[in-house]
Amino acid sequence: MMNKTTVVFFLFTVVFLFIVIAFEGCQTKTERLTKENTIIFALSGDISILNPILSSDSASSAVEGFIFSGLTKINENLEIVPDIAKSWEIKNGGKEYIFYLRDDVYWHDGEKLTSYDVKFTFDSILNPKVNSVRRGDYIIDGVPIKFETDGPHIFKVILPKPFAPILSRMGIGILPKHLLFDKDLNTAEFNTKPIGSGPFMFKEWIKSERVVLEKNPKYFDGPPKISGIIYKIIPDENARFVALESGQVDVSDIPPKDFNRAKKLKNCNVFEYDSLVYVYLGFNLKNEIFSDIRVRQALAYATDKTQLLNLIFRGLAKPAFGPMSPVSSMFESDTEKYNFDLKKANAILDEAGWILGSDVIREKNGKKLEFTILVNQGNKEREKAAVILQWQYKKIGAKVNIRLMEWSSLVKKLNSARKDFDSVIIGWSLGIDPDSYSIWHSSQYPYGLNFIGFSDPTVDRLLEEGRTTIDFNQRKRIYSQIQKIIAYQQPYIFLWYPKSLVAVSKKIHGLSKPGPAGLFVNIENVYISKDEQGD
Amino acid sequence: MLVKFLKKLAVLIPMVFGISLISFFIIHLAPGDPTALFVDPNIDPKELLRIKANWGLDKPIIIQFFYWLKNIIRGDFGIAYLYNRPVLELILERIPATLLLMGTAFIIILLISIFFGVYSAYKKDSFLDKIVSILSFIGMSLPSFWVGLMLILIFSVELNILPSSGFSNPLLSTSPIYLRIYDIFLHLILPVSTMVIVGFAGLTRYIRSTTIEVLKQNYIRTARAKGLPENIVLFKHALRNSLLPLITIVGMSLPDLFAGAFIIETIFGWPGMGRLGVSAVFSRNYPLIMGIVFISSVLILLGNAFADLLYLIADPRIRIDEND
Repeated sequence: MMNKTTVVFFLFTVVFLFIVIAFEGCQTKTERLTKENTIIFALSGDISILNPILSSDSASSAVEGFIFSGLTKINENLEIVPDIAKSWEIKNGGKEYIFYLRDDVYWHDGEKLTSYDVKFTFDSILNPKVNSVRRGDYIIDGVPIKFETDGPHIFKVILPKPFAPILSRMGIGILPKHLLFDKDLNTAEFNTKPIGSGPFMFKEWIKSERVVLEKNPKYFDGPPKISGIIYKIIPDENARFVALESGQVDVSDIPPKDFNRAKKLKNCNVFEYDSLVYVYLGFNLKNEIFSDIRVRQALAYATDKTQLLNLIFRGLAKPAFGPMSPVSSMFESDTEKYNFDLKKANAILDEAGWILGSDVIREKNGKKLEFTILVNQGNKEREKAAVILQWQYKKIGAKVNIRLMEWSSLVKKLNSARKDFDSVIIGWSLGIDPDSYSIWHSSQYPYGLNFIGFSDPTVDRLLEEGRTTIDFNQRKRIYSQIQKIIAYQQPYIFLWYPKSLVAVSKKIHGLSKPGPAGLFVNIENVYISKDEQGD
Repeated sequence: MLVKFLKKLAVLIPMVFGISLISFFIIHLAPGDPTALFVDPNIDPKELLRIKANWGLDKPIIIQFFYWLKNIIRGDFGIAYLYNRPVLELILERIPATLLLMGTAFIIILLISIFFGVYSAYKKDSFLDKIVSILSFIGMSLPSFWVGLMLILIFSVELNILPSSGFSNPLLSTSPIYLRIYDIFLHLILPVSTMVIVGFAGLTRYIRSTTIEVLKQNYIRTARAKGLPENIVLFKHALRNSLLPLITIVGMSLPDLFAGAFIIETIFGWPGMGRLGVSAVFSRNYPLIMGIVFISSVLILLGNAFADLLYLIADPRIRIDEND
């Protein structure tokens, strides 16, 4: 008996050691990362791939942002500013963009970055064999954009027609041609060991556990003050919070429920800032109930957003009234608000012919005012919102059913040609350009993101004008009109703008102004103070 | 006997084929598709159709299945979507951490439950038996995520002596190997403890009841009547026989060692197979799901065959029956 136990124990130890060695593999000797020179970020999602033209998840993008540089980047005020390109010109009535590249940009392997790399990157995105979801960004009305070089420092973008959103799409991370031109981009080993030109160099990626970056001492905008960045993947939100509390990570998002607890943490500062996201209740406009604008308006009046947000977020979100985030430079605040008013809601429904039946549900021509709200399962905030709306709409005689669906199935339902749904709670995460053609243009139905079937000739025309107009003030007028029309028509009941809630260790300084671009926009200015390390 | 075992293995091939065929269809017929993750106002739906075609998803499912089968026979599990890397590579890189977590927990559970199971059967209705019973029922009824969070709260937050998440401390990656092994050991304590707390109960109860049965047998009475010392009766005669059914349990647990534990991995940020598998299902990552299903089913079948073989070796009665 004793002997066997010893043997088992011995074998187990051997296996353990073997596994450990296999896992830790070969190490490269570089500057030691310590708590005093490294920022540890908690990430909620697994990183899938580290190639900016292939990745589509926010965790991967967050990491890529520090490894790669683009032609342009976004500053803390959400303005497009130079990055690799030191300046640019718009010519030929907005059909030609000429970027002048810096002369002092080097890849992490020491090669020089030139306009040929830039052209290679954009051409790769357009290559149909490359599985890039970004390809559509560079195709205008079915015509691919042309990319040309004029010497190693001049890069030209030639558009089939003026297209204002293009500038916001030029910030994508540039790939090194010399390492990739003869490889299959989809499966290249590069995608797990990337080499970029950004402020940090890739060091190590232990799959689904962490990614380690170290500073690029030759970064063209000046080397960062910190030596390294570690991303730790912690999928569970409670575990993330605990890791923050115990100082195992320095930066983490925090769930609204823990916001007050986080504010009491001694080792952290807590930030709340707006994002470019809005959440809404969207109606299937081909449904006979919702095709009548009066029903939508009545439901809008019956929506008590203050109560909704207090119950779900304890006030840590802003009520939404229109299809654009208030942080956007083209946000229009003067839109129809449909402030909570049950009397008006009831009056509109009465007038529209929806009569209260004996079962306290309104009906019209034998059809009951009854519909189903779809919600993606697991999104606690939206699940709660559905229940609260069900209760709020009951007060005006509407019967609401709730159906929770797994995300993939829900999307399938919205995208199918049959449009077999009544309404859905979902959200849009917008880019910094105000163009929302893909959401509202009638051509994007039934195949496209206009799955509710919104169709308004004026909005169609304005959306087309908005994308082809370059002048800022002119565009602002156009998008202001679009927001007014959509807010009036209420094809969605706009519910809320979520806030980003982030806690950052007190030892970290030099953060940028809180906003949708995050707190680490100017990563090269971020430093760790010596006196407050002991947490 | 060897022939018999090889025959058993040969039967597995059509079974694996059947399992693969059925699961392939179920997975592909489930609503939704792998591009659902890309719903974003900035992504043109036409591009999603193009990418689906690149992945071969525009072909009929049966054709896709035969492509998949053809590749599997050549040992090619395909390229996983999103990661754009070979499925086998994704699975293999999760195996060390998964085996380490699951194996350690399994061995500890096994040792604890054999000890407590046999002991409380022997001292049935004693004070210790009752304590073990109460502890088992508590362990059984506690949800693992709660136990995990409580352990984190106590040992990581309040006492601050153990790390709460991950496999190793990233800041130690240049330290000497013994420090890193110690570090991994520290990271292992909380997840393994959680698994042991919620997992030991079932097996303990099981061993207790089989041992109670065995202790009632005539040969135990004979052994005692022969005047054998009590510890030989218990550990030689009783334990051996009461542990026979355990072979099945160990055989069945083989695939679990590979499959990982999703909830534990999520709470403790452990880079295991459970998370890979669950996220593959939610993102409809067909090649990855099929890879995991295929390997799991092969392991389940092998585990069962292995258990059968062990039975043949351990239990002479079965051998005799089959020779008749």
